[in-house]
Amino acid sequence: MLGSRGRLRSADRRALADEELMQLVQNGEVDAFEVIFDRHASAAFSLAYRMCGRRATAEDIVQDAFLSLWRSGSGYDPRRGSVRSWVLSVVHNRAVDAMRRVGSKAGRDVPDEGIADRLPAAERTDAEVERRDDARQLRTALDELPPDQRRVIELAYFGGFTHNQIAEMLDLPPGTVKGRMRLGLTKMRYVLGEGSRVTV
Amino acid sequence: MSGEDRIANGHRCGEDAAAYVLGALEPSEVEAFRRHLTDCAACQKEVAEFEQITGALPESATQYQVPKDLRRRVMNEVRATPKAQAAPRRTPARSWRPAIAWGGAFAAAVVAVILAVALSSGGSGTRTIQASAGNAVLRIAGGHGDLIVHRLPQLPSGRIYEMWVQRGTAAPTPTGTLFAVTSSGTAAVGVPGSLSGISAVLVTQEPAGGTLAPTSAPVIVAHVT
Repeated sequence: MLGSRGRLRSADRRALADEELMQLVQNGEVDAFEVIFDRHASAAFSLAYRMCGRRATAEDIVQDAFLSLWRSGSGYDPRRGSVRSWVLSVVHNRAVDAMRRVGSKAGRDVPDEGIADRLPAAERTDAEVERRDDARQLRTALDELPPDQRRVIELAYFGGFTHNQIAEMLDLPPGTVKGRMRLGLTKMRYVLGEGSRVTV
Repeated sequence: MSGEDRIANGHRCGEDAAAYVLGALEPSEVEAFRRHLTDCAACQKEVAEFEQITGALPESATQYQVPKDLRRRVMNEVRATPKAQAAPRRTPARSWRPAIAWGGAFAAAVVAVILAVALSSGGSGTRTIQASAGNAVLRIAGGHGDLIVHRLPQLPSGRIYEMWVQRGTAAPTPTGTLFAVTSSGTAAVGVPGSLSGISAVLVTQEPAGGTLAPTSAPVIVAHVT
């Protein structure tokens, strides 16, 4: 009986929205935190892995980000966006910090493929279907950019490089790098449709 | 933005918005652009539009499963870590109590705080900071800090601990982090944002809801230099 009630409570928690779960997390509910982790850890790990290219480093970043979330909420403010976008921004910032701290850029954009398991394409909920559809649109928009614009955007966002570092790498004037970033993002916004839903 | 970029605050509009949202500006340029943003509606609009794209960029990465070991490590750590009984984060309300001048509060802190330890904001590691009651550890990793306190006194109803950060010698600014401690006086709270540019992390006792300026001397001061 107790077990039955426990499972029901667990199922109920999994039906809650992230914002409701975060209130429980702030009250110290481990089970609510576990649901948040299960919903967003794959995206967090994938982002960190994409940025660092090293599984061990990516795991450290994700662990650090989620433990910070558990200890303090780490600055989550529902007025500024979804839990998912906030988790991913924490992971992104920490990955950039980690890469800049290490200093060496060698091998960063060459993931150790084969060590991590690709996520099966199962789409279990409407939200996941919607999210995967958004991701596909975004990848298409990125892939359709001229290579020189896509490269500066990827080096900046996923590589954590500043525009001066990119300019040095590509032997371009800094103004050209900034211009390509702007053109690329403007085209992506146009391709995705002004006013269309681009959410995380 | 059109091609007819204008100049505001000595800054050419449109020049930096994309690099800014991509995190590609140099640190000195970030501050200048943020100042520019406060007065430039065109750049505010462009930044908001670009942030729609960069906010979704993480989803474009190839998706991988979370390693089972990672999940187990995180959940084990969570179950073993005392959770701060943190009050919901919100912008601190203006206190009806008059805020005391920070100079006075800081002078009082000399008595309250036994030791503050210099840390390297660019590095990682932990240092123990002895507070007036109990003790505290500021754990720094990747330019971010977590403050873990032990044996701090529980506060009476209507009072709460509030975290502040200080840049240089300027008056402390509220972080929005309000917290209580467990019956054993323990709490673990993150310092919001990066420690870059932060000279000190402080904790004071404040009225529930927090204040915009300290009304009491800090019980914890951690100098980050």
